[in-house]
Amino acid sequence: MGTAEEDYNFVFKVVLIGESGVGKTNLLSRFTRNEFNHDSRTTIGVEFSTRTVMVGNAMVKAQIWDTAGLERYRAITSAYYRGAVGALLVFDITKHQTYDVVERWLKELYDHAEATIIVMLVGNKTDLAQAREVPTEEAKMFAENNGLLFIETSALDSTNVEQAFETILRDIFSKVQKQQQRSPQDNAVSLSSENPHGGSQTPEEKRACCISL
Amino acid sequence: MAKSRGTNGLGAPGSRESLAGAPGEAGAGDELSSLGSDSEINGGGGERRVDKFGFIVGSQSAEGPLEEVPLEVLRQRESKWLDMLNNWDKWMAKKHKKIRLRCQKGIPPSLRGRAWQYLSGGKVKLEQNAGRFDELDVSPGDPKWLDVIERDLHRQFPFHEMFVSRGGHGQQDLFRVLKAYTLYRPEEGYCQAQAPVAAVLLMHMPAEQAFWCLVQICEKYLPGYYSEKLVSEGGQEGEVPLTPLSLPPRKQLVAAWVSSRTVGFLCLR
Repeated sequence: MGTAEEDYNFVFKVVLIGESGVGKTNLLSRFTRNEFNHDSRTTIGVEFSTRTVMVGNAMVKAQIWDTAGLERYRAITSAYYRGAVGALLVFDITKHQTYDVVERWLKELYDHAEATIIVMLVGNKTDLAQAREVPTEEAKMFAENNGLLFIETSALDSTNVEQAFETILRDIFSKVQKQQQRSPQDNAVSLSSENPHGGSQTPEEKRACCISL
Repeated sequence: MAKSRGTNGLGAPGSRESLAGAPGEAGAGDELSSLGSDSEINGGGGERRVDKFGFIVGSQSAEGPLEEVPLEVLRQRESKWLDMLNNWDKWMAKKHKKIRLRCQKGIPPSLRGRAWQYLSGGKVKLEQNAGRFDELDVSPGDPKWLDVIERDLHRQFPFHEMFVSRGGHGQQDLFRVLKAYTLYRPEEGYCQAQAPVAAVLLMHMPAEQAFWCLVQICEKYLPGYYSEKLVSEGGQEGEVPLTPLSLPPRKQLVAAWVSSRTVGFLCLR
């Protein structure tokens, strides 16, 4: 795991979505700052955090958008999703209602995001096993049937949080690589592609010499 | 305040939730499924189609393709803005011109609400006055202003899904913000032209944040523009002069911009 914030090859926009109170913000803070807040406030608008990790032989900067109240801000919903290459669709394993609406979130996501977006279904709060309302197998099956990645996590005790983000970043990365093999000249793809032959470089990819931020 | 005036058509039961984000509010039992909850409250069945700005398709929604920033450019801008917002003080101190330039190029839609709070100073105001909005929010307010405000609520962007229904989130929050302003500046009270500005702010941010941005717009960018004195100079009561000559030239520009961006741009689009 690299941590050098400014030294990276790719930036991936990943959005966190799901019902209010499922633990999106704590998943984010656990992953990016190794923190958990018991009294976290409702997220207002959009928060974001980044962490740079090594994926394969590349440094990937995960730019994670933590959204809240998207239903209130329809005016900008599509803007949040635009350009996202990954999404963590989070539900609370102790609240079946948050799982029941996963399909609606998926629809919302596919309505606004690129069709190529990689989606991971995340059942959070495994530390509350005794209060579980959503069986692992049920969610896993749903994920398989819908072409989603699946993982269960606990932002509170850190279980699988790293794995969740690493897995989706690795998947995005390998998709990028495949895409580049298939159509290295295709500028229309939304994912950045590394072009070893020195062709046009998509902006998502950062060369060490052109970091001007 | 709207809470105690639930009989006036505002405040549909169970639809009111604090946007200010009270601790522990997350997962509140009365919270409807957050997805499309406004549509449910509005009785729209949730299948109403809206354009990307939230305007109901077939009403005044954007027709024809709007100029769209290429995705690569947009993502680049998003990253630049995220970096700026994360290091705001540094940027304001050292690279003020660059911020301006990037504003002129266009703030990415996903970050507009946030950027406006930083740019207007509304964010700092909120921090300096923590809790103030909540105080104003629970205060009763002058009935004189409340009546006028309530008459205007359903007339702000009625084809925007946020404001389409009486008692919906949009109209409730609009009431809260405008009422709070009349308490914050009782000598100014409410001016009709504040409503569309507040409404546009609410399309992008919660009520408390919108309130402080409105305060900044009224006091920093357009001081006096919304005051009664100016209105009486401008013409009929309640009508806002488009170019208040009493303002210095630069402020006139801002005034015209605010009018065109909100009233003009959004309605005529």
